[in-house]
Formats: sequence, C-alpha cells, structure tokens
Amino acid sequence: MTEFDLIVLGAGPAGISAAVVAAAAGLKVALFDENPAAGGQVYRLPLDTSESTQAAEERVGHQLRQDLAASAVQTFFAHQVWAATGDYRIDAIGPRGPVHCAARALIVAAGTTERVVPFEGWTTPGVIGLAAASLLLGSQQILPGRSTLIVGCGPLLAAVAAKTVANGGTIDAIADLASVGEWARALPAMLSCPELLRRGIGWWRTLRRARVPILARHTIIKVEPVGERLRATLAPCDAAGRPRAGKHRTALVDCVAVGHGLTPATELTRLLRAAHRYSRAAGGWIAIADQDGRSSRPRLYVAGDAAGIAGAAAAATHGASAALACALELGGADRSRLERLLEAARARHKRAARFGRAMARLMALRAGHVDAIAPETIVCRCEDTTCAEIDEAFQAGACDLNQLKAWTRCGMGPCQGRTCGDIAGELLARRTRVRSREYVGCFSARTPLRPVAIEALTGDFNYEDIPIPTAAPI
Amino acid sequence: MHVRAAERSSIVGIFFDDQPLLARTGANLAASLFVAGIRTLRASPRLHQPRGMFCLMGSCQECLVLVSGQRKLACQIAVTAGLRAQRVAKTGTDD
Amino acid sequence: MNASTRAVPGACDVAVVGGGVMGCTTALFLARAGMRVKLIERDALCRAASGVNAGTLTLHMTRARLVPYAIRAWNMWMATDQWLGPSALVRAVPGLSLAFTEAERELLRARASARREYGAPIELLSRDAALGVEPGLNPSLLEAAFCATDGFASAYLTGRAYHAALREAGVQMLERTAVTRVDRVNGRYRVQLAGGPSYLDAPRLVMAGGVWLEPLLALLDVHIEVKTLVNQLIVTERMPPIMRSVLGIASGLLSMKQFANGCVLIGGGWQGIGDRKRGAVETLPQNLIGNLQLAQHVIPALATGRITRIWLGLESETADALPLLGELPGLSGAWVIGCVHSGYTSGPYMGKLLAQAMLGEAPELPLFDPARLRRPPPSHVTH
Repeated sequence: MTEFDLIVLGAGPAGISAAVVAAAAGLKVALFDENPAAGGQVYRLPLDTSESTQAAEERVGHQLRQDLAASAVQTFFAHQVWAATGDYRIDAIGPRGPVHCAARALIVAAGTTERVVPFEGWTTPGVIGLAAASLLLGSQQILPGRSTLIVGCGPLLAAVAAKTVANGGTIDAIADLASVGEWARALPAMLSCPELLRRGIGWWRTLRRARVPILARHTIIKVEPVGERLRATLAPCDAAGRPRAGKHRTALVDCVAVGHGLTPATELTRLLRAAHRYSRAAGGWIAIADQDGRSSRPRLYVAGDAAGIAGAAAAATHGASAALACALELGGADRSRLERLLEAARARHKRAARFGRAMARLMALRAGHVDAIAPETIVCRCEDTTCAEIDEAFQAGACDLNQLKAWTRCGMGPCQGRTCGDIAGELLARRTRVRSREYVGCFSARTPLRPVAIEALTGDFNYEDIPIPTAAPI
Repeated sequence: MHVRAAERSSIVGIFFDDQPLLARTGANLAASLFVAGIRTLRASPRLHQPRGMFCLMGSCQECLVLVSGQRKLACQIAVTAGLRAQRVAKTGTDD
Repeated sequence: MNASTRAVPGACDVAVVGGGVMGCTTALFLARAGMRVKLIERDALCRAASGVNAGTLTLHMTRARLVPYAIRAWNMWMATDQWLGPSALVRAVPGLSLAFTEAERELLRARASARREYGAPIELLSRDAALGVEPGLNPSLLEAAFCATDGFASAYLTGRAYHAALREAGVQMLERTAVTRVDRVNGRYRVQLAGGPSYLDAPRLVMAGGVWLEPLLALLDVHIEVKTLVNQLIVTERMPPIMRSVLGIASGLLSMKQFANGCVLIGGGWQGIGDRKRGAVETLPQNLIGNLQLAQHVIPALATGRITRIWLGLESETADALPLLGELPGLSGAWVIGCVHSGYTSGPYMGKLLAQAMLGEAPELPLFDPARLRRPPPSHVTH
C-alpha cells in the first residue's frame, strides 16, 4: 500500500488544479479518476484531438491536462474508487486489479450528477440528459439526433443547443423553466466574468440566427415513442416548473435532451461522516465547509462543484485554495508564500464563483416542481418505483428517506440513489409538511461507492487461503 | 451517422447481440450504439419497459451490457475492433 | 434532566421499549389479547438488526438448543398472512450447509446431529445429491446437510409489515423517541422520553432493545453484559437465476440466497468495525474479500455479478450465547426479550412466547431466565 501526503479524488477542473498546486507546494500527491483521462465532465477528452477543435472550453481542458502531465502528481486513471475509510485509506479497482493507497489528507473533487425531474415517458430510450448531449457533442463529436428538443433549465440549454446547431444539427425548440426576467436578474453576476458572458451571448446569437424557438417558462410534460422517433409535449409552466393553463406544443424529434440542474456528489464525504447541510441554491446536500473547502472532519477537504455548484471556472480556483490550505495544514515549507498564493486563489475564486452561483440559482430545484410528477411516473428508474408507490408508503407512515427506501426499494438499485435521491427526498419533504428538507435526510452512504465486479475483488484465490473466522457456537 | 469532420480514429466493425455495426475506435460504446439506432439496451426490472443510455457518465446504470461475460456500463467501454457486446439477460421480479 | 412535564396521553397497560421483531411481536400479541400497548422506538420500526439482517429462516445456523423455537417460528413466518398481514415476501426453499474439507465434513456432521437431537429435520447428502438440489454448486464439495424447512424473508420489508399490523391492532407507536430513564412511581414504571411528551406510566414494561439492552437494563439497575457483533452483509445487483436454495457452510460462516428479484444477499457473520454507541462504522477489507471469496467458491457463477451495497448490522449476544427471555430479577412486571442467536428467524415465536408468559399463561416452551447473567453494578458505566 502506497502512502501519500494527499489523495485527490476526481480529476475534473477542481481535482486537477488541487493536485497540481499541492504537488507544486511540495506534497506527495495521488489523483484518482474512473475515466481514462483527466478533465471530468466539462473538459472530457475529445475523441479526436485534431486542431480543428477551436472551442475555448477544449483549450482550457487541454491546458489542464498538460499542467497535470508536467507535474509530479501520481495519477490513477481508469480507477474506480469503491471505498474510503476513516484513516483515509482509499480502495480502488484499476485495469490491473485492486489498488490501496493511504494519505494524511483527502480532497474530494467528485463533481456532480445531473438532476432530471421525472415526467411521463422520461425513461423512453432517446431521452437523454443534457450533460449527456453535451458529452456526445464535445467528447464523442456526434449529434444526438437529426432533430433534438432541449428542455430544462440553466446555461447548458443554450450551450448544447448552440453546439448542435454549429455542427449542422437541428434544434426543434428550447423549453426553459426560467423566465426572461430570471436571466435578466442574473446579468449583474454574469458581468463578473466577461469572457463567460461573451461566450453565452455567442450561443444566443447562434440560436437566433438559426431561428431556434426559445420558449421561456415552458416545461416538458410527456414523451411518447413514435416509431424510431419521439413525440414530446411541452406546456407553459409557473415559476416552480408546474404546468399551467395554456397552449400545449408537440414536437416530433429524434432525441430529447433534458436537464434540471446539477446535484453535488456527496457520497464520499457522507461515507466519511463529514457534517452536511441542504442548500437549494448550492444544488442540494453539501458538506459543511469553509471557504477553502475544509470540512468538519480533520484534513478532509471538498473542492469544486461537489462543495456547491459554482461552475467549472470557480472549480479550478477552489481546488487551488483547498490544496494550499491543505499544504499549510500539513506543515508545508515556505508558509508565507503559500499564504500569499492562497489569498490570490481565494480572490480569483470569489470572482469566478459569482458567475457560477448565479447559474446555480437558475438550476436549483424549484420548490413545487416535483408536484408536477404524475402518480404513474417512475421516480426510481433502477427499481421502477412510481410516484404513487412513494405516496402510498408516505400514507402508510414512512417519513424519512431511508425508511421510504426500505418500504419501496426506491434507491436500492445499482445507481445507488444518485438519480432519484434528490427527487424522492423532495417528494417526501413536500408531503411531511415539516419545515426543513433536512429532516427527511438522504440515503445512507455505503460502500461500494459504485457497483464493483465481484471477481475484481476476489481475484485468484484458493479455498484454504480464505480467512474464515472462528466457527459459531453449536 | 452524425459525425463531424476531421476524423483521426478509424472505423471498425463491432457486434451487438451478433448484429454487425460500424463504430470508431476509442469512441464510447453507448454513444456508438445510440447513433447506430440501437437505443434500447435492456428492460426495466419490474415493468419490463425499454431502457437505454441516459446520463453517459457512469451514474444512472441504465446502459448495462455484457462484454466477455462481464456486466459493464456501455458508456464506460471504448470501442475496439471486433468488440462483441450483448444485451444482459432478464432478471426476475418480486411480484 | 428536567422533571417530567407532560404524560403521553392515553392509558397504558404495557410499555414496550424497542421496535424490532422482538418488541413488535410482543406488542402485537399483547394488544390482540386486549392490553393497551405503547411501543417506544428510538429510530423507526425494524431499522436496526431486524431490518438489515440477511433474512435467513434456517435451522442450520440456529443454535441447537434453540431449534424447537426456530421450528415454531419458521411455521409462523410461512403463515404471516394469518398473524402479520402482507408479508415480508417470505419464501420456503431448502437449505444446504456445505463441507469442502474433511475438517468441515466432521463439523457438518456434528452440527447436523446436534440439531437433529432437538428436532431439526436435517439429513446428510452426498455430493451428487446436493448438486441435484442446487445445480450451481461448486462440484468440489464433499458433503452437504439438507433441511427442507428453510427459506428467507426480505428483512427490509419487516418494518412496513409490522407498522401496518400494529396500527390495526391499536398499538400506539412512538417512533424517533428515545428512553432516557425509568423510575418506579406508585408501583408503576415511569418511562422518561426524549423530545415531545416527556413520560409515560405503565404497570408493565418490556425491554426489547437489541444491542442497546445493556444500557437499557442499566436504567433499571440490572447489569447484564450484552456483546455487540458487527455483522457484514453484501448484496448484488439483480442477476439472472444462479441459485435456488439457501446456502451456508459447515462452520456457519456463510449465508447466501437469491431473491425472486435476482439480487443475491451474502452474509454469515463476518465482522466489521462498529459499536452500539457509534453504530456501524466501516467494513474491514480483508473480511469483505474473504466473505466474497467464500460465496464465490460456493456458487462460481457469482463471479460475473457486481455488488451494489455493503452494510453492517448490529447483533446482540450474551455471555453464554443464549437468549434473555423472562421477567427481570426483583422487578415484578418488567420483562426482557432479546439476544437470540438467529434472532430474526426465531423472533416472531419468541415474542409470542413472552406475550404468553406476560398474560399469565403457561409458556409453551421454557423461557431463558435473565437472572443467570446478572452482575453486580460496575464501578463505571459502560455503554
């Protein structure tokens, strides 16, 4: 088992930045990620890294990967971390089998999962996440379909739509939960990052030129398969995303890309028993942490969107702050230099986070949005648990999320509650009429952090070598 | 296929449930199947409804397939020449 | 602690502390016999051992002396619609205990013989006969012990089943309510509660707190050591059928079953880290891998599966590994139930037995006097 000063979990912008900065500060650093290359979701390595890719995003990702390669960080790509224990031992499965490492400190930069508020037919093949559509376009360099409908909220709507159009695809329409007013109110914060604002305006221009209908305050209420295609129904909605009276609009498309925001990935920090709180604006449950990402557990830091949605640019600066704070805590040399760097990182983070947090507010789960989920709609995809079954369990007396899980199997499937947890928790909270969403709780965090193949853990073994404990009394 | 210009990776033959397909080396298997029109990969456990790729990042577990006898997520498999993948077998239900 | 302020409304004939299978069954039978019952549970019903155990309903792993209780309990589990209502998906399937080495074969025979003496219908099978019962078995096995009265329930459904039955029986359930002290007031037990209404009075008290029996009994100044075992459980994703019986090995350190939904649940008492104060903390990697290796050795097809969850459950055990079931020494009207090996299997019958005794009927089978394990008060209190 290899010992490090610091293990960074997640090689997105926050993780890469944290690892590189920590290594530069003299720490012995390991960086783990389940993908074959660094970049996370936003900067996923494109399939073809030919020079024709001009997108600014891809250049940022390229630079991050270069910085990492030039550093002394020991990287573990294509390694799935499945356990972490209180002494900061990490267990992972890599291409050559199990790997164990230990460290004095951990930085969790695990990013987010995309949230989709269920609607009738959302499990139909051809309905994909907005982030999935973004990955198809960016990393896989393919269009989601000849004609795509873009639905949900937040900046990804325009990003995906514009990219599709720029690559020769058709966008039937964009249905945005937000009103024009909500976007206007975000403008002051967006001015703090002019380059990002310019990029957004570029997308909007591309969409206008292509005459893509942008429907503000509209939501998707149904998808049905029609041969190889999908028929989607859109309806006007209120500020909470609930359909209201008004003209329905149908679209016949190849693909529906839907995203209702991002939820921070907290499985690791909850497994390690850090304190958490629920913040709608931050995207859901987050570890309680200071500005440098220091959690309630000693030498456990959280950085990037996993600490609360603030965007990719803020993630990189946050990773740097966490690494510097960690280096100082572990007793790094040249303290005054580290402290100056930390001040600078914090300042950069503040500016970048202003933009990202404004976007996060547009992506937050709207109180009342789950009211729109019809009884027969699936909430837990892994287990086919419907909204009606959740209601039934609540009527029968289930009042926290783990009890709901035991009574309905919602959250017991292989996705380990990542897809349904936020929604199921919200459904329950709306019904219990208790003041805080925190009462309902979240699914207990357990190992393995992702499903792990049995033979990857058991390896080659002989029966005689199995350490069978003492026999039970007769 | 909906493919952008400037291709560096090569196009190879793969199989899904013995159906031959073309895909690019290094491409994501789930995405490759998706654009080839194979969007239903399995059935949901209790209601037996069609399911396929959804999140493309290893989270939702919907794109589960069988490769060399191992159950894996198609979105975490890179296409290689001659790759053979199959649909997973049906599982039982409590009711 | 402040002086009590308000009493829980409603008269009470018996207060049951602990909402696992022991406490819930006792409460259920007492309520049906006409008593006004209040059930106090510090979390939610059946969220501790009763909701997270492997759900095995076997005689192979039950202690020999407890076989007569387990057989009666097995019959109750197989007929839950008669006394519990919608079931925890109970299935009767044969159970096999396996021997892969000569030493295990000896152990197998000794355990089978001991259980047969207490009435368990266990017979020995040759390798080929065992493969006939369970074709997916590793053919390197030497011998098997077979029991037709075997099976399993989905433990996680237990809470919901009892919740509905107790509600229908008129039991008042106080979930998410901890007990902080117990005093004698005018010949009744005054049970102080944390949060909400502050206390309730009852002439009878049942302590059914599982691993927390040690601190609970200490509230009554009864000091009995209750050891906490931290049992590891592993469940796979849904898989196509790879086994059809309940499997274990001679030493008792494996339990395996595949549910109708395809998930395979692996247990057997491999230990993790935890205690009754902190709860389950974390698994020991070598125990996780050992448990899986054992399971995979027994059913080789398991290798192709993926595990989706590992958890730890707390199981209670007394110094002589036999139950606590009876009236507490020197405390008339106060009873204890718990620390039963394979407690989930025997739980319904143990609860029914205790209710019988509390109702003044002659219990069908002997109880287990807690006085035998009573110790003097310790110099410092440990929890």
